[in-house]
Amino acid sequence: MSWNKVAVVGAGLIKFGELFDQSYEQMAAGAFDAALASVDKGIDKTVVDAVIVATQRGTLWGQEGIGGNTIPTAIGLAGVACTRVENACPSGSDAFRIGAMAVASGVHDVVLVIGVEKMRDKSTAEGLLARAASGHPLYNRGETAPVLFAPFATRHMHEFGTTSEMLASVAVKNHHNGCLDPYAHFRNEVTIDQVLASAPVCRPLRLLDCCPQTDGAAAMILTTPGRAPEFTDKPVYVAGFGVATDHPYLHEKSTFVGMPATVLASRRAFAMAGVGPGDMDMAEVHDCFTITEILDIEDLGFVEKGKGGPASLEGETALDGRIPVNPSGGLLAKGHPIGATGVAQLTECYWQLRGEAEGRQVAIRRGFALQHNVGGRGSGVSVVNILTRNPA
Amino acid sequence: MVEGPFVVSADGASLESVAVVAVGVAAPALRLAARDVAGAWGAGGGKHTVAVCDADEDALTLACAAALDALAQAGVDATDVSGLWWGTSRPPFAEGPSHSFLATALGLDASTGGGLSAGSPHAGMEALIGAWDALAAGHARIALVVASDGLVPGLGTAGEVTTGAGAVALVLSAATPPTDGSGPAARLRARATRHMAVVDRYRGDGQEATGDVYDGRLFREQIFLPLVAAVADGLGDEGAGPGARAWSIGDIDGKLAGAAARALGAPLASAPVHAELGDTGAASALLGAVPALAEAGVVGIVGYGGGRATAVLVDVERPVAGAAGALDRLHGGRAVTYVEAAKARGQLVPMVDPIPMGVPPASAAFVRGSVEMLSLEGARCRFCGTISTPPSIHPHCVGCGGADTDTVRLARRGRVETFVVNQTMPPPFQAPLPLIVIDLDDGARVMLQGSPVDADTIEIGDVVELRLRRYAVERHIPVYGYKALRVPGVAAGGRAGAGVGTGAEGSGR
Repeated sequence: MSWNKVAVVGAGLIKFGELFDQSYEQMAAGAFDAALASVDKGIDKTVVDAVIVATQRGTLWGQEGIGGNTIPTAIGLAGVACTRVENACPSGSDAFRIGAMAVASGVHDVVLVIGVEKMRDKSTAEGLLARAASGHPLYNRGETAPVLFAPFATRHMHEFGTTSEMLASVAVKNHHNGCLDPYAHFRNEVTIDQVLASAPVCRPLRLLDCCPQTDGAAAMILTTPGRAPEFTDKPVYVAGFGVATDHPYLHEKSTFVGMPATVLASRRAFAMAGVGPGDMDMAEVHDCFTITEILDIEDLGFVEKGKGGPASLEGETALDGRIPVNPSGGLLAKGHPIGATGVAQLTECYWQLRGEAEGRQVAIRRGFALQHNVGGRGSGVSVVNILTRNPA
Repeated sequence: MVEGPFVVSADGASLESVAVVAVGVAAPALRLAARDVAGAWGAGGGKHTVAVCDADEDALTLACAAALDALAQAGVDATDVSGLWWGTSRPPFAEGPSHSFLATALGLDASTGGGLSAGSPHAGMEALIGAWDALAAGHARIALVVASDGLVPGLGTAGEVTTGAGAVALVLSAATPPTDGSGPAARLRARATRHMAVVDRYRGDGQEATGDVYDGRLFREQIFLPLVAAVADGLGDEGAGPGARAWSIGDIDGKLAGAAARALGAPLASAPVHAELGDTGAASALLGAVPALAEAGVVGIVGYGGGRATAVLVDVERPVAGAAGALDRLHGGRAVTYVEAAKARGQLVPMVDPIPMGVPPASAAFVRGSVEMLSLEGARCRFCGTISTPPSIHPHCVGCGGADTDTVRLARRGRVETFVVNQTMPPPFQAPLPLIVIDLDDGARVMLQGSPVDADTIEIGDVVELRLRRYAVERHIPVYGYKALRVPGVAAGGRAGAGVGTGAEGSGR
């Protein structure tokens, strides 16, 4: 039996990309406006009585003072309760989970969950790449973002015979889906040959195996199932969620062919929702790199361990496949503005469950959609949220 | 000034027990052809090559490698060493913890004595004499002597064509080592020192490179040859002459040493090492003697630097452990162009701001972590046996969450569990940079940088060794840590996990 103690009644985002002309605050306001405008029966924004904001790197990247009080002023709600959530790449999905708990607890009636991230306000060398010097002062030097995931590709290829073509097929599929998503950063097709011919970034990963650095923002409006009819006749419910951690350093990993945090988080979410992977009509999963999606679909239980590569190559995860994965284009094509990513994935799930994903709508049969992030140092934290259109 | 040369004869009772137990050697990664150096300045060059430190090597990393080699050859545990005497023209910290960094990296006891001699190529001989005296005085039982240099010659100077890099280490013992022979393999017998207040090679305070400020002919005729002759003569036993079978003489270009040896009437034993590595500075006299320590007979060693010369006689009874094959261990290296060498020596630098690495004194985390990283410590769980590394960030066991651990020293060899080759990093990082997860032979797991040299060929299952390397230099402060370098000639073990003690036994993996 699904949890269903919280309803989503609105969701929206801004077009992702290198938004050099928009400030952090403008992006947030744009996403909030889109979420408000999406509410079927309209909404007075002052009914929002709490804001949960997800921003991962703002403190480092030009938003040094970011905290609970930046967003309310930006969206014209100064005075409202607001808390910032930072939980690495799952920051957005964890903000959603925390927002849902705030509603379910009865403390807040209408909660805005908003994810905002400025990835491009610093130069490439000073931004994400600068983390090569982060971490323990003697360990982990040179550890840029792909270094956290490429060792899993090396080992997965070694143990299961996963090929570069199989990795590339994930990028091909997600770029195709991105072409169908007006909010995606990249809206161009790529071929397997193009992926294999792209520049090496962190062997065995090449440029097109990697997601871009993207600015973006996304917002969702949550309320109780009791109040949902004030705003819409087609709410989507929170069926369940799960969070789990794993050791933070790569040399502490128990395995390099899977991510235990994803396994644990999804088990907890499935148990809470009373469903299993076979009940999902689609999934938005964390494809920061092509190998990550292959690991995800195995760890989430959509395919057998070791079979993620062939499953991707053979189209099982395509829009018309057995389990459509990342119909929005995923992080690879839609982009990965970290704090916004999870909220944007959940927005895609919301649209898909409501049958509103024009041009990329998947078949909704059982009425469940799964959203997943994994990240942090050593991919040590994962969040899974499950949404449903089925009333409890 | 002491009148005349100071001589210690073989009959000196206090010296009788000073034995040479073993020697170790080390050479840096790069080799540069002299003709490339000369050609860069429009001159003709010789046919020889010189050894050059890679960007992550220096006198400290070379010293560490040679000392570990010597300890292994001697079969001596690092914790049994009473004192470390290190000589180098160019300590990595002009003022700072050079000696303590080396001692820590070698795993020497925190109470280890000894000292650092520096400032000229004579420093290597000074380290030897210091250790000898401590042993002779009975204040030390086992002494580790290390001489190393990775000089940076001034661009376009005469010395640039011959300046090399390398290291040598000797394990000396006051007691007869437990061998089946009747006495030590070799012993130090006699010595003589002289000095003269002259300026030759020179590097001023704060200067990065070494210059030659002397006239070559003047140096040869009035300084080098007379000083070498004087100290060699000073070794003589009541006028009978030193009677050395061969000489190792450290000098700038090998020609001076050759002339000195001819005058002494015996072959120049140090020529092969000089041909292999060039002038290794403080290491040159002792390193040049190593091949000669593989054969019985009397070997004379003369080191010169900074207006000082010291000569030592070694009686070799049997081959000294580590001497045979030393030239093979020094051989190899990767041929580089003049531009690559200049980059490696830090003389050709890009005009970009490197990203800050957070080195001391800014980082308390560095201070907390430096000892355990340099000495390769792990925390072994008393309950499940898992070794968590490094201890300071693991108050609880990675395997079982337990809080009871013992600090252990990690193995320095292991196998590649998985890896990546990072091609995209901001300065000061240089691509391609392998980053490797290693299952060490003791079951511990670490993740370290590899070498660009291994980037194209590294595979899962490869055997790697942990070597001390200089990670970065920031605000003139060097930062040291370990890198995992492939051991040549050891085949990949296929699927890792088979073979060496991986996590399978009790590490909780």
